[in-house]
Amino acid sequence: MQDILIIRSASFQQLDKNLPEIIRRFPNCRVSLLTHEHGVEPAKKYKELDQIYVYPHKSSFHPGRRVPELNGKTFDLVIVLVANVSGAGFLNVLRFALTIRAGRYYICNLVSNIREVRPATIRKKHVLNICHTVAAGCATLITAPMAALFLLVQWKRLSRKKT
Amino acid sequence: MSNALVSIVILCWNRKDDVRESLSRIRESTYKNLEIIAVDNGSTDGTQEMIESEFPEVRLLRMSSNIGIAAYNVGFAQARGKYIVILDDDSFPEKHAIERMVQRFEADPKLGVVAFDVRNYYSIDDIKIIDEAPENDGASPNESYIMSFNGAGAGVRADVFRRVGYYPEEFFLYNNELDTALRVWDAGYTIRSFPDIVGYHKHSPINRNSWRAPFFYTRNAFWVVWKNYPIRPAFRVTLELIFRCFYHSLEQRTWIYLKAMWSAFARIGQLMGKRKPVHPDIVRRLRVPVNINFTFYR
Repeated sequence: MQDILIIRSASFQQLDKNLPEIIRRFPNCRVSLLTHEHGVEPAKKYKELDQIYVYPHKSSFHPGRRVPELNGKTFDLVIVLVANVSGAGFLNVLRFALTIRAGRYYICNLVSNIREVRPATIRKKHVLNICHTVAAGCATLITAPMAALFLLVQWKRLSRKKT
Repeated sequence: MSNALVSIVILCWNRKDDVRESLSRIRESTYKNLEIIAVDNGSTDGTQEMIESEFPEVRLLRMSSNIGIAAYNVGFAQARGKYIVILDDDSFPEKHAIERMVQRFEADPKLGVVAFDVRNYYSIDDIKIIDEAPENDGASPNESYIMSFNGAGAGVRADVFRRVGYYPEEFFLYNNELDTALRVWDAGYTIRSFPDIVGYHKHSPINRNSWRAPFFYTRNAFWVVWKNYPIRPAFRVTLELIFRCFYHSLEQRTWIYLKAMWSAFARIGQLMGKRKPVHPDIVRRLRVPVNINFTFYR
């Protein structure tokens, strides 16, 4: 019996599609779900779920915002749902997944393709993204003053006319 | 139990078979005092003819071309119901959903929007509908944050909708619900989800170009902020959005986010006279995961 934790980083509509595929791929398993607070009641509808953990933060999954309830727990698999095909834009969730102790880590995408991602691959991507962060930060520093000035000039025109 | 008129407004564009299925499912609703308005955005696949011949009870409003979500507003303006149910052309409410929605609206006059629990259509037989006792409506009362809603299935109190304004027509597609949600909360009404009020959505791949979602979600994220946020959070989130446009362009090797950002600034004229900051507490409490706008590029 394998213990699986699914991180619900996509919609319930997608989870509806993904969950049967996950269970087909890993037939002998006990499935738990990690979801934000607003997802707890909808998640209770899945009879396949053994346990629901609450992500106790308002913002998105991030390695800096952990789940105390999962401290000391170990799963055989952690599966991250991604709302596109490639998984682009979900590095924060993958890095968060690494904060949870597990034997293996997987991605399940929009069309229910399930593939393993190695921690080393996630860390390598993170290093690359540090470079992207620096470049994007520099570009923002150059752009932001112009954008701020532009918005300040436009602000009054945007404001609703008083009746 | 109240028998208030409920108007269903469904937007169609070249998905004849999906529209047929949605309208057939609506006929199964346990709530019968319904006005169904189909607004067609200039379909060329015979959608209009199909509605006219197979669903004579439906009021069809024809647009001459695809004007995006502005077509919804044409339907909303025509609606005579006390409550309006908003649907996509590939979504429909579970048969008890509208009946339960009316009960919840009648029980709570400050309830502005009922966000349906929108589920995948292809799992329709697998989903267990929870039947709550009246004293336990199933909604989570202790949420530490507040939510928007999904336009593929939602009920809106019509007079609130008219008061806060309908969908932002300039958005064309996407993030329009968030803009509306901010105004509903700011008007002193709530948006709540109930697990026994379910809608189904096919999420059809048809008519979904890969560039549309990342472009419109990103551009409209800027516009939501500029229209509705008080000045300090508006600048802070604009800065974050600019950073993310650069970052995710590099990460995903695409120009689409930079194009969207350019469009947001270049076409700012479309927002003239539309800025009305909401209370800072609404911005602080509403869950707006900015990064989600950057996850639709494939």
